[in-house]
Amino acid sequence: MSTQTTSAPTAAAASKEGRRRPDTAYAARGTRPGFLWALPATVFFALFAIVPLIAVAVLSFMSWNGLGSPQFVGTDNWKRIVDDPVMVKSIWLTLLLTALGVALQTPLSIVLGVWAAGHQRNRAVISAIYFVPLLLSSTAVSVLWRALLDPNFGIPARMTWLFGDGNLFGEQTTAIGVLAFVSTWQFTPFHTLIYQGAARAVPQVLYQAAEIDGAGRYRRFFHITLPQLRNSVITSMILMIVGGLTTFETVLILTQGGPGTDTTISAYYMYQKAFQGFDFGAGAAIALCLVVAATIISLIVVRVSGYDKMRSDMEGVS
Amino acid sequence: MRIGMSRMLVCATALALAAGLTACGNGSGGGSSNDGRIHVLVYGDASNKVERRIVDTFNKTSDVKAVLDTIPGADYQQKLQTIISTPQAPDVFFNWGGGSIQPFVKAGLLMPLTDFVKKDPNLDDKFLPAVFNSAVVDGKPYGVPMRGTQPVLLFSNKNVLDKAGVQPPKTWDELLTTVKQLKAKGVTPIALGGGDQWPTLMWFEYVYDRVAGPELFKKALGGDKEAWASADSKKALGMLKELVDTGAFGKNYDSVKYTTGASPALVASGKAGFELMGSWYYAQQQQDAKDFAAKGLGYTTFPTVSGGKGDPSDVVGNTNNFYSVLKKTKHPEAVAKFLKLMYSDEFVKAQLAIGNLPTTTNTKQFLGQSASPAYSRFQYDLVAKAASFQLSWDQAYPQSASTSMHQAVQQFFDGKLDADGFIKAMQALPAE
Repeated sequence: MSTQTTSAPTAAAASKEGRRRPDTAYAARGTRPGFLWALPATVFFALFAIVPLIAVAVLSFMSWNGLGSPQFVGTDNWKRIVDDPVMVKSIWLTLLLTALGVALQTPLSIVLGVWAAGHQRNRAVISAIYFVPLLLSSTAVSVLWRALLDPNFGIPARMTWLFGDGNLFGEQTTAIGVLAFVSTWQFTPFHTLIYQGAARAVPQVLYQAAEIDGAGRYRRFFHITLPQLRNSVITSMILMIVGGLTTFETVLILTQGGPGTDTTISAYYMYQKAFQGFDFGAGAAIALCLVVAATIISLIVVRVSGYDKMRSDMEGVS
Repeated sequence: MRIGMSRMLVCATALALAAGLTACGNGSGGGSSNDGRIHVLVYGDASNKVERRIVDTFNKTSDVKAVLDTIPGADYQQKLQTIISTPQAPDVFFNWGGGSIQPFVKAGLLMPLTDFVKKDPNLDDKFLPAVFNSAVVDGKPYGVPMRGTQPVLLFSNKNVLDKAGVQPPKTWDELLTTVKQLKAKGVTPIALGGGDQWPTLMWFEYVYDRVAGPELFKKALGGDKEAWASADSKKALGMLKELVDTGAFGKNYDSVKYTTGASPALVASGKAGFELMGSWYYAQQQQDAKDFAAKGLGYTTFPTVSGGKGDPSDVVGNTNNFYSVLKKTKHPEAVAKFLKLMYSDEFVKAQLAIGNLPTTTNTKQFLGQSASPAYSRFQYDLVAKAASFQLSWDQAYPQSASTSMHQAVQQFFDGKLDADGFIKAMQALPAE
């Protein structure tokens, strides 16, 4: 055991060194490329993210139906949005769907990812099959599930003991359930992939040591695998949260925000306002709310989790 | 879900680009006819075949040539809204009449066709009045019918009705009895694609017209919000509520869509007796269930309501599609000449051949050449004799109203809105 522990700190030290080294090396040779290297990415990002974002911010203070020139209306759009019960409801729905997504997908994908990281028989084949939903477009997935869940010709018609009259899209609870289920079905493979990679990176020495200490399969999972996956959990959760806040296609195709406004999440409400109702000002205001919300939540997650400090996964080893 | 993020950026970009486009548009006042041609913009689908042919016919004799531009299906209204006030704007464009052009009229972009009609009265007389009138805004005509009419009809599965020993209902009371009889046989009396929301709206359009006549809706559309709270309005809502509560549509209609083919399949497979739908239903069934369309598909007019103010001959639906003209076109004479082709024999025959039913007065003599003559004749007589042809509510109102309207009808059928709640929702719609 002692031979193995000595190698680990060296690796950690080397990586710390490595982070500093390029700067000094470039500075010494005077060939640091600097801003020029970042230019293409910066221009691209500015053109397609920053500029539109500013334009949207400006537009949120204007009234515009796509005809003629936008008129400044001050904070009218914002006042309307704050007073709009559908908007308030849409925020709760967005948060609920996001929370459901995280709550369902995280445990599932951790378990699957850790399983897929192993070397069991047929693992590669089953993993490959399980990966398929991610390769399909969201639109195709939504159309597929809409057809599969048809109350008269789909699964519910054959399983009345479970689905009753099959009115899945006619009740708020079941409609939300369907949305959460379909996203889980589609995106769990992606997060599984993250965890598979991370679980493979957990040093085998930890398991060997635990085995010697007499830890069983479950203790090894809870005391070694899970803590080692911490950074991956945060990465995956941020992706889930940002993705959840901006979910759109599934709602557009599966429920169209219905029944009534019962699944009208904020991103879909923005689309309705801007591109169906041609109220671009209100649409822009909602879009901005979403951007701000997603940023704040991501920052909170990063701060609370200590992800910003990038603490090493390896701390258990040394 | 990562796709969701990029989708949001795309939306933001689209918003920004749209903003940029108009900014350019304000600078130069020139139309797209700068290239010396008339640009005709249409909704891209199978009917373009005819439109292309008419443009070719026009170009044979005209000095000013026309070009047909198409925008594929679903994006049409959005793209039109974005380009119409820019230099890329067309001279002539496809639309649905009513609320679909009203914002453009308000923005002063369209040319009233009053002068065209004065010079050539045929431009009005050659079309069925009930249809021509749905593109009249503020008393002035703004559109010439250019495709087929699509009235809403009550379709049925004849075999299902026979087995239950019922006839297509002629009155509302008969409809309620029929519903009970079909229910007793274990079939869903009426298929409804409630998930799409607009099929539900069709029931409102007909019942309101039968009970109150077309005036109630006209008043409401004109801004008289009290119309929604009138006794007739409440009576119509009461009747609809009764129909839903009898179980006419079953229980899971909100999970059924027309657009996925689920509700037509219910009728074709004998699981439901009736479905209220636009006249395109016939072609849809021919495509999805050929045998059924040939042998089992029945169609009839909407039942009458005893004591109702509406004329029993009234119909609702999509009156037709229209060509409207932009004010800034540089070739008004050529455009007027182009529009005249919309009542030509060539146009009528070509439309009938692809299954559309034009609404010109000369259509009648060519009905025998239609793809399904009996069905075309039934529809043509219905529309020609109609005292009023109410344009679908969601198209009569400006686009900005349609989402809230669709939500309200769905919630009323679900029981989440009562009559008062529905009335309030309709009163809150942005009217003219």
